[in-house]
Amino acid sequence: MDRLERFVKGMGQYVDDIKVDKPLYMAVVRSPYARTKINGVKGGLNSSDLEAALASVGEGAGGASANPAAHPIFAKGYANYVGQPIAAVFSEDRYGAEDALESVDVDYEPLKPVVSPEEAIGFEPIHKGMKSNVISDKMLGKDFEPKADIVLEDRLENHRIATNAIETRGILADYSNGRLTIHVSTQSVFSIKRGLCGTLGLPEDKVRVIQADTGGGFGLKGGLQPEHVIAAFAAMKYKRPVKWIETRLEHLMAANQGRGAIGKMKLYAKRSGKILGIKGTIIVDAGAYAEGLAGFAPGFIAHQLTEQYAIENGYVRALSVLTNKAPYGPYRGAGRPEAAFFMERMVDMLADELKMDDAEIRLLNASEKPFTSPFGMHIDASKPFMQKALKALGYESMKKRNAGIGFFVLVPGAAPGEGVRLEVKDGKMHVWLGSNQHGQGHDFFIRSLAREELGLSPDEIAIEVPDTDNIKAGIGTWGSRSAMVGGSALVDAARHIKEEIKKKHGKYSKKLLLSSNYDYSEFYKFDGEINSFGANLATAKLGPVNDPEVLEVRACYDVGRALSKAMVKAQIEGGIIQGTGQVMGEAVAYDENGQLLTSSISNAGVLRSTKAPKCVVKIMENPSTLPDKAKGLGEAPTIGTPLAIVRSLEHITGKRIRSTPVKPQDLS
Amino acid sequence: MKEAKPKIKINGKDYSATVEPRQLLVHFIRDSAGLTGTHIGCDTSNCGACTVLLDGKPVKSCTVLSVQADGHEITTIEGLSKDGSMDPMQKAFIEDNGLQCGFCTPGMIMEANYVLKKNPHATEAEIRKGLDGNLCRCTGYVGILKAIRSVQEKKK
Repeated sequence: MDRLERFVKGMGQYVDDIKVDKPLYMAVVRSPYARTKINGVKGGLNSSDLEAALASVGEGAGGASANPAAHPIFAKGYANYVGQPIAAVFSEDRYGAEDALESVDVDYEPLKPVVSPEEAIGFEPIHKGMKSNVISDKMLGKDFEPKADIVLEDRLENHRIATNAIETRGILADYSNGRLTIHVSTQSVFSIKRGLCGTLGLPEDKVRVIQADTGGGFGLKGGLQPEHVIAAFAAMKYKRPVKWIETRLEHLMAANQGRGAIGKMKLYAKRSGKILGIKGTIIVDAGAYAEGLAGFAPGFIAHQLTEQYAIENGYVRALSVLTNKAPYGPYRGAGRPEAAFFMERMVDMLADELKMDDAEIRLLNASEKPFTSPFGMHIDASKPFMQKALKALGYESMKKRNAGIGFFVLVPGAAPGEGVRLEVKDGKMHVWLGSNQHGQGHDFFIRSLAREELGLSPDEIAIEVPDTDNIKAGIGTWGSRSAMVGGSALVDAARHIKEEIKKKHGKYSKKLLLSSNYDYSEFYKFDGEINSFGANLATAKLGPVNDPEVLEVRACYDVGRALSKAMVKAQIEGGIIQGTGQVMGEAVAYDENGQLLTSSISNAGVLRSTKAPKCVVKIMENPSTLPDKAKGLGEAPTIGTPLAIVRSLEHITGKRIRSTPVKPQDLS
Repeated sequence: MKEAKPKIKINGKDYSATVEPRQLLVHFIRDSAGLTGTHIGCDTSNCGACTVLLDGKPVKSCTVLSVQADGHEITTIEGLSKDGSMDPMQKAFIEDNGLQCGFCTPGMIMEANYVLKKNPHATEAEIRKGLDGNLCRCTGYVGILKAIRSVQEKKK
């Protein structure tokens, strides 16, 4: 049955829906303090049973050898954020597991935590063996002394956001015949496999990871977290299937959070409006442990800071700093929205200073030919796109309604490419992709590309579940990469099979393909840079207590080639509402003691239907050089939407907006 | 702990199980009756993923105890597709891109059908208000609203 039909009929197989014989339900004892000594743990499975640190895998992960800030699976001696796993308990049913939490005794000795990343720079190191809380500190670009008429400075911030997929995290681990079988809600079965093997020291052939239907990820589910390791370890120890389903409160306190970046920017310009250069400091709040994206993010933000502009000079200090909060991780956009927010806020500031039109100042600084930024980002000429987008968005007429605009460059996470396996047997082509869908609609582009390349109809294709026993190499779904490199892997493999048939039979036909047997796997390598442009326009108004209300968001993005127009549009609409949420109230809040103030998905600001604006989507197609001609898409709306909304709110109120989410007091 | 044995009719079929009195209806539906189409997305009754009909009216089944539903009739998402064929709302959700990851979908469809049943001429604002207790993180509600409007149109 088709995936969507299963879902609307309630026949999805999300990880909690998978039935196994006599599973043990797992619950996790978590630190109630943001920073504490742990003098002893009695009961449950704890660090005396498993002393290991999380292997760094997934989006942005570097080789983390001897990382003094690596995340311990169970806290030992210290805990460093509210929600950090200390012990795990198991029971025959989920209620019993919750009850068993009380059976664990932890002797805490609370310490003074550090919550603000700016304070954390000079605060005593939260980890032993570190000289400071700074985990990465790089100078990027080149210092310069411009002859500027105008120098503008500001401190800008995107607060932390919980990823809040409607399905929380979850895993079902089973150990039999000396082999671990993992069903998991994930964006990458390969990350989970590599992570479990690396963390628990297991040989690769002893672990099989299968993607369960995955109810959204938004970045969080691209990597491995301590609970996955605990469940896998417990399954091996107790020789029983172990199931862990995260509660929403656990999700808010202990799942990696995204955004959480500060930009202290200094913009140099001439009176004409021409921008000469940008300097500044970018600080990413890494949370309590350095994993995955934490070290990589500040440099990535700096890399794309100049966006679509031909700005010749740039010099930025990029820092990632530990605090006593849940670990940092990707959230849809993962550094891209932060970079665009920092740049476009400064450009708007310049427009106000010079009393220039928002579009005029942007076009003045656009690149007229391909340009390499002082931070090494390559872009095509941006001006033609920007001119077309302003027209498509109806800027001239909408500016009378206080519309705000924002432009950006989408730098996708396309490298190093993606894996694919095509197996033709019994009259069908079975497709495994290395990228693991969790709402992106891979089915749509798989079908459209298979029709295009091989003439196959949907009923001649079986889209298989990502399973490390059935596809050997792959990366995962994040960074707007799936249609680009996953689709291109499929095209490349399909063309390979087509050539083989031609060689054998002198011609290609669908009949020849489906009547034979093929099993072809490849890893389509891509290390190039295919960046794309986007623009948003938004209108807003103020509610009765100065609460912002977003009326309409328009989007115009170059998607390369829309492999399925309907799905491209639907992805953009969903992203627009997430971008709107970032402005309207999405944030995870902590008090000065590092206590979590956000207690529900509603508190966290996930947008409801009554708050969602009208969306208008314009798709532009300038084909990329990839085999399937696609460009990045998924993260575009979370980059552009906040830019346009905050600018519209500035036009309405005359107040300068420096951070998201925007609060009523920012507007009065 | 004391035990209870609620008898609940789900999608026209009687289910009875020995459960703890504290068991939530959503767990009776999922664990005791084995109908896993009803999902759990939060622990504060905000998300609406667990929405089912109790005697024809939508409830978040995480806010009802199994014993409170004793002797009552429940309709879950599995009860909508008669003989395997989809009901108009299920079809419309697929046709109009009313779902992406699919996790909120069962609760959303249960609520959507009720909104139109209660008010066949509901305006877009009224439909949005009806869905206010059902969160979707993927679609921005655009495809969902389109699907509901198209079912409404066809019924006219």
